[in-house]
Amino acid sequence: MDLRFTAEELSFREEVREFFRTALPAPIRAKCMLGQRLTREELKRWQRILYDKGWATPAWAPEWGGTGWSPVKQYIFKEELHLAPAPEPLSFNVNMIGPTLIAFGTTEQKQRFLPNIASLDYWFCQGFSEPGAGSDLASLRTQARREGDGYVINGQKLWTSTAHLADWCFLLVRTDPRAKKQQGITYLLMDMKTPGITVRPIITLDGHHETNELFLEEVRVPITNRLGEENRGWDYAKYLLGQERSGIARVGVSKMRVRRAKDLASRVMCEGRPLSEDAQFRERVAALEVELKALEVTQMRLISEPGAASKAPDPKASILKMKGSELQQAATQLLLEVAGYDALEYDREFLRGEAAAARMECDWALTIAPNHYWTRHVSIVGGSNEIQRNILAKQVLGL
Amino acid sequence: MSQADYSFSEDQLAIRELIRRVAREKVAPRADEIDRTAEYPHDMFALLKDLGLFALPFSSSYGGTGSLLTACVAVEEFGRVCYNTGYLLVVQWTAFGALYAAGNEEQKERLLPGLASGELRGAFSITEAHSGSDVSGIKTRAERVPAGYRLTGAKIWCTNSDIADFVLVAAKCKGSDDRDSINLFIVEKGTPGFTVGRKEDKMGARGVPSCPLFFDGAFIPEANRMGPEGGAGFRLVMEALNTSRPVVAARAVGLAQGAIDHSVEFLKNRNAFGRPIADFQGLRWMLADMAMRTEAARQLTYRAASLVDAGVAGRELAAAAAMAKCFASDVAMQVATDAVQLFGAAGISNEYPINRYFRDAKVVQIIEGTNQVQRNIIANSLLGRESKR
Repeated sequence: MDLRFTAEELSFREEVREFFRTALPAPIRAKCMLGQRLTREELKRWQRILYDKGWATPAWAPEWGGTGWSPVKQYIFKEELHLAPAPEPLSFNVNMIGPTLIAFGTTEQKQRFLPNIASLDYWFCQGFSEPGAGSDLASLRTQARREGDGYVINGQKLWTSTAHLADWCFLLVRTDPRAKKQQGITYLLMDMKTPGITVRPIITLDGHHETNELFLEEVRVPITNRLGEENRGWDYAKYLLGQERSGIARVGVSKMRVRRAKDLASRVMCEGRPLSEDAQFRERVAALEVELKALEVTQMRLISEPGAASKAPDPKASILKMKGSELQQAATQLLLEVAGYDALEYDREFLRGEAAAARMECDWALTIAPNHYWTRHVSIVGGSNEIQRNILAKQVLGL
Repeated sequence: MSQADYSFSEDQLAIRELIRRVAREKVAPRADEIDRTAEYPHDMFALLKDLGLFALPFSSSYGGTGSLLTACVAVEEFGRVCYNTGYLLVVQWTAFGALYAAGNEEQKERLLPGLASGELRGAFSITEAHSGSDVSGIKTRAERVPAGYRLTGAKIWCTNSDIADFVLVAAKCKGSDDRDSINLFIVEKGTPGFTVGRKEDKMGARGVPSCPLFFDGAFIPEANRMGPEGGAGFRLVMEALNTSRPVVAARAVGLAQGAIDHSVEFLKNRNAFGRPIADFQGLRWMLADMAMRTEAARQLTYRAASLVDAGVAGRELAAAAAMAKCFASDVAMQVATDAVQLFGAAGISNEYPINRYFRDAKVVQIIEGTNQVQRNIIANSLLGRESKR
């Protein structure tokens, strides 16, 4: 197993790095550097730039806009994006609904939706979880009854992130309450402008509005917006959830944060010396970098395995999800400890990039605590780490 | 290490029961709102005042019990439901303890009764923008002038300062031998040249305000210097703070226990895969670990507090207090983090109370100084100081 990049892969990396250096708009890069939250317009602008280059959806099937890159090149691209630092293209669009449509949609649906999904002209949100259905998603209760040439939906969704910004929603509904729960679910695409949809904001522990509750009252969805067959929605959802898991380690994000922590530590004084010279700090950084390297090697090993480019998601990807999320949290924690007192202040306008920091001398510190708090979600979403352990136990260890 | 056997007296048990009940009935319903609005909880202050708790650790001549153990229990019981309410007590005790340790008779008579009754509120200020743990690096200066001093400089994160009647401020004075010493000054609200800056919007501990302080040649009369010039007063206060370190540990124990309380209720009531999630072994074991560590932290804390009550001081107390503080604050953070995970997505939503414990625990970790200092204290007690090189 040779994990070194080939000469061709190295030159590809240079090409990608150069693209990010020149094509990423400076204000967006600046916001990413400071950890500020990006606006809808900024994310759309950046995805359009990627789309015009043909790089918004590199992992899609080439006939629908993918680049055809090998798994290693996909990995290189993603890592360089995180290191730029640049925003990821919208995950709901690119990693979730896009591949699911490609796998199970009709040609008409693919033609209608995929280009708009890739360019982010259509912003999708994910209507899966409900108040009584999180980890146990199959027990969802939002109902859809067949009426005329469509469905009428009544119910409630929860943790619907970006619903307040979205044009569309990919939705799981129950169409057969009498069947076994996994067998009565249908997958629909819902236009967010349809009458009967109420979006209620949920504020999270970082004080930010990212996620929502969705109330659906007699919402009509035409049958042409059903994905695949009625009552087969759970299969399509499982496919999507498997896809979601493998991109989720975000090693590049953690690397970027550790790099930033080291840089900041060289400028923060502690007992008369830069924090970067403190033995305790150096030990923490070394330990974290060792773990990150181990995760990176594991990820490279999984993507280099024969059959890695096939459609079936590898259950070992649960390792990447679990460890990746833990290291993301360790990296934000390191940043928080570097920032110390200066991280305690909460400046919500600055977090959103709407105003300069009230205290400019420590503006770099002001997003660190909210981002650390928000990063608690990575061990919870995308299949909680407890669920990932179950998957590893059953499907990898055979227990 | 000395054996301190402690047990709770009838009175201590009664106080604990009372506070537990009051916390559950009167404080818990307000906790989320205090955190969300970040508004100073005047009603909670009034409640503590009515219960006569502002002198709890101090001598009975001020209405206290003379027991740090009782004080720790009070802070723990309030902290279980509302970190900010427990913090109101601690802030008042810090000001009281400083004056008690280093104030002269006139200062004590002037200020202690009011602090004990709650008629007066105090605050305590050392930290500056470029000197967090490094106290000797402070830059605020007290320049000798006829009949007193002129104070110049700035402080950050002074808790309670926008509502306090006076602030105990650490400043450097140059002595007649031209050497600097740090002294504490009683700076009264409204002193010309003394400004309390805008309240900080904080990530945690939101109910008790923290503000920057600005001193622009503010005149402080001689009678408001604590202790003789030369720093003896400041050192006495630092010693008093060391002695009250178990109370910091008790704040952490309260946070951890509160997080466990909320987690137990959530686990029992939340269903998934056809059962309460309290049935899942992975989660049961997580909770068991949380409870085990919290109990260990509690015992370390109670032991350190009872050593203080038994009159143990100096080096011997220092190690026990450092263990309690270091262990308890780390446990609180671990437990609060695990609790957020147990709640799932609800753990990161502001509609559920648990993320408040996580944010408050994080603040305690940052502001109470690094646990590396605590480890130094413990190591010194076992190995002596490192040899000078």
